[in-house]
Amino acid sequence: MLSFKPLFFGVLLPAVVCGGLSALVGYLWLRSGEKTSLLWLAAPAVGVGYIVGYLGLEGHPSLPPREGIHWLFYGAVGAMIAGCFWHISRWGRLMTQVALSIVIPWLLLSAMFRYTWGQLEGIVWWACLAVAIFIFWQLVQGSFTALPTGAAIPFVYFGISAGSALILALSGSLRLAQHNGVLAALFAASWIILLLSRLGFKQNSDRKLSTFPLSVSPVVVLLLAGIWLNGYFYAEVPAASAILLAVSPLFARVGEIKTVQRLGTWKSTFVQIGLIALCVCIAIGIAFAHSGFLGESDY
Amino acid sequence: MKTDLGRNLQVFSIGTLVLALFIVGLTGITQLADAADTYQIDTAHSMVIFRAKHNGVSYNYGRFNEFTGEITVDETDMVKSMVAFEVKTASVDTANKKRDQHLRSPDFFNVKQFPVITFKSTSVSAKEGNTDTLEVTGDLELHGVKKSITVDVEITGRGKGRQGESLIGFETTFTIKRSEFGMTYGMGSVSDDIRITVSVEAVNE
Repeated sequence: MLSFKPLFFGVLLPAVVCGGLSALVGYLWLRSGEKTSLLWLAAPAVGVGYIVGYLGLEGHPSLPPREGIHWLFYGAVGAMIAGCFWHISRWGRLMTQVALSIVIPWLLLSAMFRYTWGQLEGIVWWACLAVAIFIFWQLVQGSFTALPTGAAIPFVYFGISAGSALILALSGSLRLAQHNGVLAALFAASWIILLLSRLGFKQNSDRKLSTFPLSVSPVVVLLLAGIWLNGYFYAEVPAASAILLAVSPLFARVGEIKTVQRLGTWKSTFVQIGLIALCVCIAIGIAFAHSGFLGESDY
Repeated sequence: MKTDLGRNLQVFSIGTLVLALFIVGLTGITQLADAADTYQIDTAHSMVIFRAKHNGVSYNYGRFNEFTGEITVDETDMVKSMVAFEVKTASVDTANKKRDQHLRSPDFFNVKQFPVITFKSTSVSAKEGNTDTLEVTGDLELHGVKKSITVDVEITGRGKGRQGESLIGFETTFTIKRSEFGMTYGMGSVSDDIRITVSVEAVNE
């Protein structure tokens, strides 16, 4: 049974903070005559929302971080800072992606290096995970440009985060599920703000209110990857579920296929979101079967 | 010549005396060292159990099935006694597979990141007025947090095993607050206070 504390601190409060800040970003962006230099404000809107949720659920993390989950807090701060400078340089973005893809597994999985993996096994895992995170980053960025409407992007990530929260809950870690729940709440808040903002764009419905631009991608990537790494290595998330969640943004790219494009904006968006949802649903199904939920009594 | 012989005899006598004193001293030290016996914990006849209150209603019990430890007992001077204990967190067992899986997860023991709970004594003293109870202070490291705790340990018995080996038994019960060790998940349904009982039989072979 969900108690008041996780619902308030893990859903309501971060959603209100993120929604409020996103609305402010949208307002400032419109007031500035849609200046792209203001897009960096979107990353702090989502990042601060997560930090509020983290502090509400966990309290202040130890410094240096004692466990993998503590790194999510510092990861959010780092991702927020990276997001603020995301629009400046293409090379800077690439270097940041490479550096963070290498550093994240090393920081989050220090216990695996210490207690579980041998030297060679550790290096192989590290290299594979760094490549996987870098690829995931490209998939996320690709989905940001492939999805046709502004509101579709946070909606897709709301779905992935909510599905991931369910998978984590089925895999024995309600604590990690709550962190994914915070992300789902943030993306839902951004989605609602974008939907509301469209009321003001009736004359030009193809415009995207940029409260969820590319500068949000470091926050999305670092937090989702961080939670999944914790879930797979420290809880019992099945590998197939983790992989399906990570590759799900790839299906946004079907919108670039000519046949799908010919369907028109709404139908092609429906195909993109439908395929991503299917991927997430299969991941949930695998986690459900793996959890033994049907066979064993609860406690 | 006579003087040299006398001097040599004198030197020899002093040398013998020094050697004798050294041997006596060494024997004394050995005897003192012998007074401290080192025992290994016999896991087959030992238990580490804990209890937590569920929903503020009932006590649920669990145990750890894998642990090791060494106890050094100095009967002549208890201050020189020592205890070192290590419990494998992955061996948590509450007779419910799903609950055990949850207890191993990052929500509670986080066994992949914190595979062991350790206790190492820093001081041992005999409890005043009760020769069979010791006051043991030491560092308990749980969930990556190290805290000093003091517990009363009862010597439950001494005896001989089937092969003539020396046996000694101890038991202690103490309560910790899991939140003090950074284990804060699920405070509403699982109590903060966790009562732990360690009952061991140790063998000196």
